[in-house]
Amino acid sequence: MKLIPKIKLITFYLFLFLAQYSFGAEDQCLTCHQALEDEPSKLFIEDVHYKAGLSCKSCHGGNSNSDDMEIAMSKAEGFFGVPSLNKISETCSKCHSDAAYMKKYNPKIQTGQFENLKASVHGKLSLDGRGMMIQCITCHNAHGIKKVNDSRSPVYPTNVPQTCNKCHGNASFMQSYNPSISVDQLTKYRTSVHGVLNSQGNSMVAQCASCHGSHEIFTSKDVRSKVYKLNIPSTCSQCHSDKEYMKDFHIPTDQFEKFQKSVHGKAVFEKQDLSAPVCNDCHGNHGATPPGIESISKVCGSCHALNAELFSASPHKKAFDEKKYPECETCHGNHEILIAQDKLLGVGEDAICLKCHSEKENQKGYFIAKEMKKLTDSLIVSDSLAKQLIFQAEQKGMDVEEIKFKLREIHQARLEARTIVHSFNEAKFKEITTKGFQSSNLAITDAKAAIDEFYFRRYGLGVALAIISFLIVILFLYIKKIEKNKSL
Amino acid sequence: MKDKLKKTYDWIDSRVQLGDLVHFMSKKYVPVHSRSIWYYFGGVSLFFFIIQVITGILLLFYYKGSSDLAYESIRFVMSKVQFGWLIRSIHSWSANLFILSVFIHMFSVFFEKSYRRPREITWVTGAFMFFLALAFGFSGYLLPWNELAYFATKVGTDIVGAVPFIGETLKYFLRGGDDVTGATLSRFFGFHVALFPGIFTFLLIIHLLLIQRQGISEPMHFKDLDKSEKKTMPFFPNFMLRDLLLWLVVLNVLAILAVFFPAELGLKANPLASAPAGIQPEWYFLFMFQTLKLLPAHVLFIEGEVLGVLLFGLAGLLWLLVPFWDTKSSKGQQNRFINYIGIFSVLFIICLTIIGWVLK
Repeated sequence: MKLIPKIKLITFYLFLFLAQYSFGAEDQCLTCHQALEDEPSKLFIEDVHYKAGLSCKSCHGGNSNSDDMEIAMSKAEGFFGVPSLNKISETCSKCHSDAAYMKKYNPKIQTGQFENLKASVHGKLSLDGRGMMIQCITCHNAHGIKKVNDSRSPVYPTNVPQTCNKCHGNASFMQSYNPSISVDQLTKYRTSVHGVLNSQGNSMVAQCASCHGSHEIFTSKDVRSKVYKLNIPSTCSQCHSDKEYMKDFHIPTDQFEKFQKSVHGKAVFEKQDLSAPVCNDCHGNHGATPPGIESISKVCGSCHALNAELFSASPHKKAFDEKKYPECETCHGNHEILIAQDKLLGVGEDAICLKCHSEKENQKGYFIAKEMKKLTDSLIVSDSLAKQLIFQAEQKGMDVEEIKFKLREIHQARLEARTIVHSFNEAKFKEITTKGFQSSNLAITDAKAAIDEFYFRRYGLGVALAIISFLIVILFLYIKKIEKNKSL
Repeated sequence: MKDKLKKTYDWIDSRVQLGDLVHFMSKKYVPVHSRSIWYYFGGVSLFFFIIQVITGILLLFYYKGSSDLAYESIRFVMSKVQFGWLIRSIHSWSANLFILSVFIHMFSVFFEKSYRRPREITWVTGAFMFFLALAFGFSGYLLPWNELAYFATKVGTDIVGAVPFIGETLKYFLRGGDDVTGATLSRFFGFHVALFPGIFTFLLIIHLLLIQRQGISEPMHFKDLDKSEKKTMPFFPNFMLRDLLLWLVVLNVLAILAVFFPAELGLKANPLASAPAGIQPEWYFLFMFQTLKLLPAHVLFIEGEVLGVLLFGLAGLLWLLVPFWDTKSSKGQQNRFINYIGIFSVLFIICLTIIGWVLK
């Protein structure tokens, strides 16, 4: 009988031990908060961190093994409660900036998010001056954090536009930072090809983070920004030049390659010209869409206003509309727009007029093009002759600065001729080229006069030297004579 | 023809007694010896001065002495005015040759000790004319208001500012303000066409009168010769005709230089632009400029530039007063020290000018 109490005692201690062990393994914070049925605990059980074995303690401190609230949430146990301001992101970064630690969970995971965020426009701006404008939880949520590739995550590609729009669509909020910033990006985005497909659940199309970045976002005026003017072609080409990535969309992937060769691309990449157009100048940015047939001339005309205006008033406008030709693009192409050379005009081998005009078909245009080309070529020859003569005069040391001004006038006439050609009006074209011919004739005359003047100076010097030398000889002989007479 | 000329001569002679002048000149003799060639450089300098006056007056017809119009007016002269390019080129070349000729004339007089008593005043007026010739060059260089002229004047007037005590005031006076501006151009123009020519002409008249009055200096060894051993030639017409012959040769050289190497204009001065690289003064200031550049920043307690300016000032003063401290030559004794000074000066000027030119 003595054995029974001993067994009871052992069983009791075993029960106590197992009970303690079982309580210790369970997150007491979660247990209590679940009992309270609060929102954080409901969300947390779906959180990626919970699933990875982390507990409330990981972010809030304290002792999650203790069921005694006083102990579990005591400062002595390291409890610091709900972190605020930058403490929030610092708490996340304790693990997410630790590469060695994070590799245990995902060998490919990045660990520079917090540093990137701090350097970004979101990290630099602050509403009250005490903390960064946004923290990790602003975009990723606090307790229900999902993996980025989880469609429930607010940073899942199809959810990103809505997530960003929480702030960027709020006019009064955005005004605190930048009164001039537009807040209709989402509305525009939804009209774009990207936006439409995104709303249909396509996670491959570009959304906010694809172009602006995620943690390392800068303003578009910042050269580090992916959407800084000179960086835009590269940013777009990340997807649009990737054949594998774009194969489901059935569109070409050579736009970037072509653009690099174009006059616009050279201005951007070689001259770093900020006034040159990049992808978004023609396609729009948030409302990115391929310009339609009618709108192409409007797009090009936003910079090439005079050309567009002349074209709209020209006989080609009606013809192009009828045949549904994309206006500027028909002659100049789209992404690979080369410098408009004179050879495009006329009826020669490279002339684009021949696409529609020939001696038999649409003859009027053929002969006008031929005449325009003839005038252009003549002006080039005159320009070249004037330059050659001016060079000769300059080589002879003559002052040709004033004549050089006339070269500018010829150059100006050639430029104007290239513009007025869009009117496809022979009379107007002749008017411009005539100005060029007048200037070139004056320049040629003046340059010839300068060369003549050079020879006049040389011959004049010869005559002067001859006369003076003659006087020298006469004088010399006279001196000899009087000195001889005296010695006699 | 001969009768007409004779009649004209008689007409003038009866009124201003030309005969007396011709008689006076024909009685004057110029010593003939192995170094007589140097006598001609006085006349050549005079010839260049006359050319400067004539071409200067012609340029004055078109030149506009303001910073807005100066450059444009010179461009107009060079490109539009008939023979304007020739007049300006001759003026520019003649200015340089004038200074070169004055240098040669001055050193020949120095080595011959022709400044000795009783020709001290002739030397002093000549020395002042030499300084004025340099001032002519400095003031005239700015007048086209081009880039080189502007910055050379800036550098030149900065050096004037280094003169102790009065430097800053003098610099302010020369510039007509704190910096080289249109005000500087206006006063340089005034100096160049009115003040300097006035003073120069006055000194030149004294200089020439003294030469006529005292005759041309004989070399020192002439005093040991008998009158029969002294070779001479009449000043008129022999020496004057030889002078004239040389003037014609010089005129030919001048014409060749002006046609083959016409004066350049360069770019218009832009006070806001940075100074072009290798900015230098005209060649006749180069030895002084180069010396100042080579001097260390500080020599004992004194700034290198200030020391240089003081040394050149002292050298100039000693040069001007040489007839008064070289008493040996005045007594007819050989003074080799003067020769050494002269040789040192010539070598110094040539070497420093070459160094300045090479290190451009």
